[in-house]
Amino acid sequence: MNERVAIVGVGWAGFRPATPELSYKELMYDAAVRAYTDAGVNPRRDVESFVTVAEDFHEGVSIFDEYVPDQLGAALKSMQTICGDGLHGLATAYMLVRTGQFDIVAVEGHSKASNLLTKDEVTAYAQDPVLNRPLRFNTHFVAGMEMNRYLYETGTTRAQCAAVVVKNRFNALANPSAAYGADLALEDVLSGPMLSTPLGRREVADHADGAITMVLASEQAAQHLTDIPIWIEGVGWCNDSPSLESRPWGQALYTTQAAQMAYRQARINNPLQVIDFAEVDDIYAYKELQTLEALGFFRPGEAGELTADGFTTPAGELPVNVSGGSLGWGHLFEATGLARALEVVLQLRGEAGVRQLEDVEVGLVQSWRGIPTTSGAVAILSN
Amino acid sequence: MTLLKRNPKAPQAWQGNLPVTSRYTFGLGGERFFRAIKDEGKILGTHCPKCERTYVPGTIFCERCLGKLDEWVDVGTTGNVHTFTLLYENYDGSPREEPEIIAFVSFGDGGIVHRLGEVDAEEVEIGMEVEIVFKPQSEREGSILDIAHFRPII
Ligand SMILES: [Zn+2]
Repeated sequence: MNERVAIVGVGWAGFRPATPELSYKELMYDAAVRAYTDAGVNPRRDVESFVTVAEDFHEGVSIFDEYVPDQLGAALKSMQTICGDGLHGLATAYMLVRTGQFDIVAVEGHSKASNLLTKDEVTAYAQDPVLNRPLRFNTHFVAGMEMNRYLYETGTTRAQCAAVVVKNRFNALANPSAAYGADLALEDVLSGPMLSTPLGRREVADHADGAITMVLASEQAAQHLTDIPIWIEGVGWCNDSPSLESRPWGQALYTTQAAQMAYRQARINNPLQVIDFAEVDDIYAYKELQTLEALGFFRPGEAGELTADGFTTPAGELPVNVSGGSLGWGHLFEATGLARALEVVLQLRGEAGVRQLEDVEVGLVQSWRGIPTTSGAVAILSN
Repeated sequence: MTLLKRNPKAPQAWQGNLPVTSRYTFGLGGERFFRAIKDEGKILGTHCPKCERTYVPGTIFCERCLGKLDEWVDVGTTGNVHTFTLLYENYDGSPREEPEIIAFVSFGDGGIVHRLGEVDAEEVEIGMEVEIVFKPQSEREGSILDIAHFRPII
């Protein structure tokens, strides 16, 4: 057994609304080589196992794991592709090291969203084929109905959700990797067109292309590789009942459960006291508020008001999505969870540039797999 | 390589697609649920006595205790709007002038997602009582589309 596991290298390419000059393999290669260089490892010699996350319909090929080994340096090595968010991939890579089976493992996630020309239909294909898909609703309706119920149950307002958009897109201006930075007023968000009431078009993250690779190592291996290992203190993941007919519409219980699993492992009883900052789901603006409550930072109904008051700005008491989040850098498909983890690693290393937070020691990462899923994961990282 | 360094005469991309057609068997639970809609205009759920929950649509197992369910119950055709939305995009992402009015209506401890009709969009609210409008029996095929829509109970 390897008791402790650290992230010892990160590399990323993008994030941009489109990358027409690159193939997805070149995008993945770029990120991977940067991560191996950052970790100071030779992928062909030192990295023992590889994990990637992908969804065939997003990639445009069947059996996508066959398209992975070459660009990551994983040919003739142990590797696996899992169908989940990047944070599920991070949890899997963590376990591969933790078991003692391997000492150095790489995990990769990517998005070539600009190549998928029928995104809405592909997402709709995830709807229940018998009960829901015959109705031919755009899948955003699931978010609209969830947001409506969340606002109803908690008293949260549309303006408080819009405050998430203003904050995150402003944060993105300080992140050179974020494509959607903007200085907006609340009114700019609220006056936009409706998508699926009460959800407005401008409260939804646009897509982006990008790739992220991370290198994980056992404590012993990490000592030889880096002076600033970022420790994975806890991981958790959970799926709720997925059907639209039996899920709780107002709450993200899967995130609550995933967090409790991660908190238990990291021995955290009071998250707000211990955790210095967080990168959490904001694919839809209301999700950030719902998630912060599900994570136990705030009670139901508190997150909106606190966000409007600046509690979660970079200068606030709990900075949330300092990177700009999905609203700021774009929806990166399965790479989303790794993009959130990337920001936490950079902040904990003190390498976040102009958006660097002061004196941070513990960061939380949470990710959701998007509509129509009830699938989430949480990781606690420390320096 | 940046976009500027790219050879503008190079071929850029290839397009491909895939016809995907699948058969989705309803299963024992689904067959009974849809047959009741088609033949009788009824919504059936299944009750788990152990968990005191009624699943709608009826299923043959309880997702809580994983016990087998065989107690089928008629849950009626009226329910309350648990949540709803006005959707301004079509299936393929193209914009809609007039929104689809969609509701999740509670039946038992589950419910049904469908269109809401015969109502002004501004009048829809959470908690509102609605009923199921079925298509005429001769047009029903045994699918979720045998339900035409929900409408408010006046
Ligand atoms: Zn039961």
